[in-house]
Amino acid sequence: MPPQPRLNAVAFVSPQNHPILIRTFAQPRQDELKYHYIAHTSLDVIEERIASAQAAKSTECYLSLLYTMEDVAVYGYVTPLRVKIILALALTDAVVRDIDVIAIFKAMHTAYHLSVANPFLKVNMPLESVNDHAAMLSAGSAKWKAFRQRVDDVGRVMGASIPSSTSNASTQSH
Amino acid sequence: MNSYPPELLTQLAPVMFVGGLDPPPASGKTTDPFVVLSHRLREALVNQRKVAVWQPEKKKTFQVVPVDKDVRFPPRRLIPPEHPDYANAHSPLSPLTPSSPLYPDGLIAPIWIRKHTRLVPSVFVIFMRLFEHAPTSRAPLETAEVDREREAEERRRDTELCAEIAARKKTVSERGVKLTVVLLASRKLLDDPSLDGRLTYIRRQSGLDPRAALFVLSPVSQSEIGDFVRSLQEALYEPAIEYYTNHSKRVRRKRNRHSQVASSYPITQPIGSAPSRPLRPEGWTVRYEYKMACFAEFRGEDEVALKHYQDAYASLAIMFGSTAILPPRTKRWAEAKVLADCINLKICKLYLYNNEHSLALAHHNSHMRKFADFSRGWGIGEETFEFWSWLARQHRAFAELLEHGTRSTLKIPTHFSTTPPSHAAAAAAVQALESGQRGALELEAMRALGLNPNQALQHPGFYYYMSARSTERRRERFLGVARSEAEGETTTAPPPGFANEQKVDHLALILELYTRAYDLFKAYTPKDAHGHGRLTLWIAYRIAQTYYESGKFDLAVRFFERIAKTYRREQWDSLLRPLLTTWYSCAQQMGDMELSVRLLFEMLGHGLKTQDDDEDSTQEDLLAVLKSSVPSSTEEPLLIDHSESEPILQTCAVFWRPDVLVGEPVAFQLSVSSPTGVSLSSLTFTSLVIHMSGDMPTITLRNSSLDPSAELPQVQKVELDHIMPSGEDDKEVQAPLRFGVGGTIVFCGTVSCEMPATVKIEKLVLTTKEGNWNIQIPLRPLSSRHGGAPYPRWLSSFDPPTYIPVRRDQYSSVVVRHRPHKVQVSVTYNAPAYIGEEFPITVGVSNQDDKEMEMIVDALLQPAELDELGENHIRMGDERSTSLIKGVSLGTIAPGVSTSMILYLSSAGAVYDRVIDISVQSHREMPATAEEPESPQSPKSPTQSRIDRDETIRTLVVPSVQPISIEQHAVYMRSLKSQPGLADLTTYEDNYWDDGDVGEAIVTTTIACTAPSGIIVDSITLTKQDGRHAKIVDSALDQVMDDFLAEWLTGDEFCDRCRISLAARDDLPEGQDIPPPGSYELTWRRILPEGGYSTPATTRFSLPTLRPPRDGLIALLDVPPTAQLHTPLTLRLVVRNRQPTRSANVVVHLETDNSDAFIAAGLRNGRLPILLPGAEETVLWRLVPVECGFVRIPRIRVADRRTDPGAEGELQERIVRIVDVRADERREVKEDGTVEEGPQLAEPVILVLP
Repeated sequence: MPPQPRLNAVAFVSPQNHPILIRTFAQPRQDELKYHYIAHTSLDVIEERIASAQAAKSTECYLSLLYTMEDVAVYGYVTPLRVKIILALALTDAVVRDIDVIAIFKAMHTAYHLSVANPFLKVNMPLESVNDHAAMLSAGSAKWKAFRQRVDDVGRVMGASIPSSTSNASTQSH
Repeated sequence: MNSYPPELLTQLAPVMFVGGLDPPPASGKTTDPFVVLSHRLREALVNQRKVAVWQPEKKKTFQVVPVDKDVRFPPRRLIPPEHPDYANAHSPLSPLTPSSPLYPDGLIAPIWIRKHTRLVPSVFVIFMRLFEHAPTSRAPLETAEVDREREAEERRRDTELCAEIAARKKTVSERGVKLTVVLLASRKLLDDPSLDGRLTYIRRQSGLDPRAALFVLSPVSQSEIGDFVRSLQEALYEPAIEYYTNHSKRVRRKRNRHSQVASSYPITQPIGSAPSRPLRPEGWTVRYEYKMACFAEFRGEDEVALKHYQDAYASLAIMFGSTAILPPRTKRWAEAKVLADCINLKICKLYLYNNEHSLALAHHNSHMRKFADFSRGWGIGEETFEFWSWLARQHRAFAELLEHGTRSTLKIPTHFSTTPPSHAAAAAAVQALESGQRGALELEAMRALGLNPNQALQHPGFYYYMSARSTERRRERFLGVARSEAEGETTTAPPPGFANEQKVDHLALILELYTRAYDLFKAYTPKDAHGHGRLTLWIAYRIAQTYYESGKFDLAVRFFERIAKTYRREQWDSLLRPLLTTWYSCAQQMGDMELSVRLLFEMLGHGLKTQDDDEDSTQEDLLAVLKSSVPSSTEEPLLIDHSESEPILQTCAVFWRPDVLVGEPVAFQLSVSSPTGVSLSSLTFTSLVIHMSGDMPTITLRNSSLDPSAELPQVQKVELDHIMPSGEDDKEVQAPLRFGVGGTIVFCGTVSCEMPATVKIEKLVLTTKEGNWNIQIPLRPLSSRHGGAPYPRWLSSFDPPTYIPVRRDQYSSVVVRHRPHKVQVSVTYNAPAYIGEEFPITVGVSNQDDKEMEMIVDALLQPAELDELGENHIRMGDERSTSLIKGVSLGTIAPGVSTSMILYLSSAGAVYDRVIDISVQSHREMPATAEEPESPQSPKSPTQSRIDRDETIRTLVVPSVQPISIEQHAVYMRSLKSQPGLADLTTYEDNYWDDGDVGEAIVTTTIACTAPSGIIVDSITLTKQDGRHAKIVDSALDQVMDDFLAEWLTGDEFCDRCRISLAARDDLPEGQDIPPPGSYELTWRRILPEGGYSTPATTRFSLPTLRPPRDGLIALLDVPPTAQLHTPLTLRLVVRNRQPTRSANVVVHLETDNSDAFIAAGLRNGRLPILLPGAEETVLWRLVPVECGFVRIPRIRVADRRTDPGAEGELQERIVRIVDVRADERREVKEDGTVEEGPQLAEPVILVLP
């Protein structure tokens, strides 16, 4: 059996291509910015894939390997509501099974929709314009910890060493 | 790839030497056809194949080298063949030859390849001129002698040619090279019969091969030259392959011999030279395998070549594994490394030729990994610049190889398919994986499961990018060494390559690599992408960084400007922040003060610090810049627009209510807050100008807090009081305009407006003046770029600050409206409306306002699905419409005055509720304020602001009912009239009326009054509309009696009977309806509740359509209703056969009985003559009644005798129905064709009077 892929980072990007949450699990921790760039550049490939999937009338969420760069392999996934999930897996010389990657994506997707379902995200928001986009973005904001924790849980299952939740507050600033 | 010897990389092809073709003369055009031919041939041969790295086509083409006719080959051995040691001697390039560059332990040198590509051919083609006499005119007398002379001359020349060829042949055969001679001759000579003989002579004399060794060519056109070149190569390809195969065989023999006796080679060491180690057996293996690979490549056998290259590579890896075999940092070691890299590239290329992308990448990756491991052992691990330089070279070479490939045949695969792999394949893969089968299937199986990302081929841009990244690392390592060298800290000597490395312009190299990556990324962006190119932006960012590193700040700034645009738009602030920091450094270096100021303001908005852990650093930098410099232009204030980027201050305007009435004040709050994380406390803003929409005055806030050290509360509140549009000057308020970290100033006030309008805060302009700088920062309220935070909120208590969240949508503006008008609209009518009448609806309008108003009424009859024909309409005065009546004026109505008008609804058609919308619009002119100036800033149309409109709407649902209901039914009577004769001429007349066939219909019409209020009926008439088949004979209405024309109340009924004569003509098909021959018309009026009558209305309805039944065989009995005792009466029976096709055989019985009240005379039992279709027969009896009262007539039985099909020979009797014509009432034909009979008396009876 091929080894389980190692998760370096995960990014959630809103349908309007704004970042919701980017979590890095890679050691050392200093090159977090790199994963922000990876998430951003992946959008190019994702949009291309979505376009070709739409042309083929496919409803496939999993967008397969987007590209490899330096030491990571970047995979993409788009939820039916067009939230993009991007995984950066450590590049190893082994076959990465699609079902494994899809399993991580599904876990991440679940973490996301459980978190967005939080009704308190919309507290204080103007009622008449309850737009999910704002709630989506605020789910990843520093104020709400549950999303982060759920994502970290998935990361921990994937073998990433996550420091205890104390360091969470500093990793994100939107 | 340029850093490797090109010989080791190029694609090899069989080499052909071409002699005897001169290069075109430098000047002047020649007309000699042979010179032209020679030039063309040379061009065609030389240009057909370019030396290139990527050439996967196998087209039997040669690498053609033009040479001199007498070219000499390099010697095979150093010593002449006569020497006794010749057999033991080695090639000059062999490591065994002391003078060789490879002596004593070299592996293989590029010169060896060069020998085989440039110096030794596989075939040698010589172009030679066949001797011809000049075409001179000759005298007829001396023919014989001249001919002889000429022949001798020819023979002599040919012999010379043969000698030359034979000499050449000798040298080439030594090396096993095939010699081919192409003789150039004129077209004339080609036709000469003596040519064959000459050619045979030449071939024999010169010892040429019998096959493919001698060609003759005459000057031909360009395309024919192409054909010739192709056929020449095709003919020579096989000998060339044979040549290389021989070489391979020779090398394989040597390798086998060598592997048996490991080191049997005597080493001939020159006396006096230092003893050095000879080439190890592994080295020999590498050498032989490499040679065999090359020869296979010459032959175009890619798979064989790949196999040998792999063997050579494996042996090389063994050699590198031991420092004893290949001591690091020696010349041989460096050569071997280059060889290994080149073999790797060859292997990758051969895989890629075959579209084995993942195998190629796998080999390339393992090469890099393997040699990275070796490098660590050699002391040039990842901490040295040498390692990174080597790695960058690998990536680059691979990228270049891909680029070469993509330019011709290589296609970069896509790793995404929209169709997921079939489940069967995936299942098979899992099974194969679990059962541990490691077969050839495995690779395919794994592909179905997923792919190895490390072996997913991407476009070359990625590899250039990797190369650039490696070069960046190389530069870092180099700078590290250089620093420690400069500081003199190190005790060890600098690394060996340091001196060389110092000469390298790393940044230029990085830049070049990034630029190539950038171009490729751009080229591989799909055409239909929406112009984002985020990948290219990322590379561009790296390029900008590199420019920054190399001190080209202006170039870097240009890149940053472009990149920042996208990052700002997409709100990826995490990417924008480092960019801004670098950009600011560039601006500082360039001394561009305005740019610095702009960037510092943007950085303040992002909460960026120029120095870590000092939250004041950014504003201090800004203050320092402002104080120490002057702007480029002092006249115009510097405008810093934050509409795209994060603004320096978050602003939010909230109005307490979404809409107010004219003149009513509404409270608002404008909060301005600084970003968290950065302090703005030292910045002094001179003023803040608030621009509101419409005629509102601008409010200027002047800074009152001049003490920069004063303590700043978190929330400050400034009262702006009441603001309303007025002619007076703009307002000025003093306010502290300083912000702490995350500080907020809330401006509170109220606003009111005398005109309907939408009031909002349009923009704020923040001004700061410092020295010569005059900076204006426009801000837009609610300019938070993020979807949510901060949410709008209302400061409800100042100390401690508490907020109420504003959860409305339209919180940032307030709509000012007019007061609603007090207009009362009443609608009265007497429901229900009757279909057919004009129904009055009274609309009463009363002005209860305190102002005089002009009123207009609109009425709309809602269209209904049932009313397709537009039968309904409404009327108001003279205006009449099926849907909308618009703008019926009621005039100006003074306060307290009421008026009314009547709307008529005429409904027709079906019964349903009619819906009418009535809208009463009231409007009044505002008193025009004369002093109001028409300023261009406040474009307000008079219709909107001066006219005060309001509207009152009523919707009525008017039920409509039928005032009367009608019920009709028809019965049909047979006629006793006999059929007209066949030749009766009257039947041909137009007005001939024959009702004998069908008879008559009697229609009973019952009219009932259903109007709840009752109606008065003015008249009922039956209008006759005689048709071809039916006409009204008479009706009960004919006896005019006016007593029914009275008031009908609900439930009152009126009945009329109408007799209609029917004529069946030939043109009426059976089963078709007869149109009604007339209609009733009822004129009526509604009885009003107060006793009067409304306007007359008319209801029309027609008689029903008629559907008379038809008979078959029938007997009609005509009995007089009364008889006198003892007076004879006649009983008549008519038997009619109305069957269309069958004749009838009718038997009649009169069954007298003793109890009968009659004495009968006539037929008792008898058969009637056969009745043909349409015929009838009458039977008469005389009866004498002998009893009084209602007596039954004797029973008569009529039967039809006929033979049923199937019942052979047996007569069956069918009883024929006897109808008493006095009580003949048939209903009409129903849908299923049956006829409901009227009530039939059991037995016909006669009233016998005494």
